[in-house]
Amino acid sequence: MLVTGIKSKPVYAPLQVDTRGRYHLMLGMGVGGAPLLRVITDMRAIAAQSLLSTRVLFLPDSAATGVAAHAVQFETAGVADVQAFSGTPQLLDRFRTLLSQSLMGTRLYVAGPESFIGLAMKIALEFNLNKDEIRAEECGTLARRVYCIHCRATTENVRTNIVRCVGCDRWLLVRDHYSRRLAAYMGVMADAEAPGELPPIKEVFL
Amino acid sequence: MNDAQTITVQVVGIEQVTPLIKHFKLAPVAGGSLPVFSGGSHIIVVMQRTDRVHKNPYSLLSSPSQLDAYEIGVRRMEESRGGSHFMHDAVKVGSRLEIAHPVNLFALDKIARKHVLIAGGIGITPFLAQLEDLHDGSVPYELHYSVRSAEHAAFLERLRRREGDKIHMYYDDAGLTIPYQELLAAQPLGTHVYVCGPAGMIKHVIGTAQTWGWPDSHIHWEQFSAPPVGDAFEVFLARSKVSVHVPPDQSLLESIEAAGVEVPYLCRGGVCGFCHTKVLELDGELVHNDHFLSEAEKAKGKSIMPCVSRAQGKRLVLDL
Ligand code: FES
Repeated sequence: MLVTGIKSKPVYAPLQVDTRGRYHLMLGMGVGGAPLLRVITDMRAIAAQSLLSTRVLFLPDSAATGVAAHAVQFETAGVADVQAFSGTPQLLDRFRTLLSQSLMGTRLYVAGPESFIGLAMKIALEFNLNKDEIRAEECGTLARRVYCIHCRATTENVRTNIVRCVGCDRWLLVRDHYSRRLAAYMGVMADAEAPGELPPIKEVFL
Repeated sequence: MNDAQTITVQVVGIEQVTPLIKHFKLAPVAGGSLPVFSGGSHIIVVMQRTDRVHKNPYSLLSSPSQLDAYEIGVRRMEESRGGSHFMHDAVKVGSRLEIAHPVNLFALDKIARKHVLIAGGIGITPFLAQLEDLHDGSVPYELHYSVRSAEHAAFLERLRRREGDKIHMYYDDAGLTIPYQELLAAQPLGTHVYVCGPAGMIKHVIGTAQTWGWPDSHIHWEQFSAPPVGDAFEVFLARSKVSVHVPPDQSLLESIEAAGVEVPYLCRGGVCGFCHTKVLELDGELVHNDHFLSEAEKAKGKSIMPCVSRAQGKRLVLDL
């Protein structure tokens, strides 16, 4: 009953260095550290001087093992400026400040769960970054942010096809319709026609 | 676009604004308002001469809020096949012309955080209309305008009056050139650059922006190539089954049209891609003059933009 094939569902590709950029800004969360390290290694091989104009903002994920070490690895890989954060809001605040000071020629790389990418993209959009300035690789949980079209509350970390809205308590069907502006998938009342009648609830976004 | 969609206008004002540029005001013969347009749009002006028809693109320079008359600036080209000379010499106040609806291939980015506009000579015209949209001051902008000398600085009074210190002038004869490096090396994120002027200037701006890491989506340029003069050649239109002679001073597109075959077009200047035509057979060489096909496509010789490009050799067959 998921509405699939909707074009707004974002598609991501493995991160690659864009050597045409002058400055490189990288954002990673949790297991997203691995793709960033891969890009940084590539960069050292093909355009080592770019590392001097590369910054990494990283959010270690305490639940996953081994990723805390990424922050250290970025530094040993030669990145000029690495900052680790304790939460998404802090990282995004810093990101916004950096964008407001950045120059044309900046490339953005984002790696992490889709919800994290979505929040970063939303800010990038405010600064008029276009597709040819942004690369994003999805990794980690597929959990979605779901926007309730009835009460406008956003429910975080949704793993199931049907979820109870944190705002209005309605059962929401999670659609593939994605809003870049809201950085969330749309949730619509699942039992509007026959109250109480719900399709089976399954974990689908793992 | 075809002639059924043209609007008949009357020339209601002509002013010689520089030794080479004339400013025309065109009002609809039927009265009322002309179609709405946005800054950066151009129109095609159809010039009926006794022996042939010219259709040239000109940017609208009047304010998008002024729809009782359109204004264009026409530079007399030294090596004109007749279009600009016709406008300069034959068109008088009261003359009637046909124009096509405005089309915008050079629009300002709607969500840009800053605009940098770079004009060379007659290339100032699309910016005059765009600036009208920037007056509310919500988005910062700057205009860099380069001309040969003071007497060639078309529309400068108008610009100064409205834009004040946002205008930076560069006079060739005073040895002043636009500092492209400085201009493009340190612009804030979300800036868009727009350039309209001679081919060399456009190339330089694009190259410099790219060197500083600007992505293509933030670089905008407009240049209508006039169809260059070349050798005469023959072309066979496979679907229409007609043979067409293309004289040295007529474009391939004009010759095809004169034979009664319609080809879609928007810009007639090698930018929009609308006139893209498949080459079915070729014994000789294509002379590509457009800015639309990639170098690889040009080398393949499988397609041609007839508004500006030509051929040399024995045989050319087009899918028309
Ligand atoms: S008409 Fe625009 S490229 Fe030929």
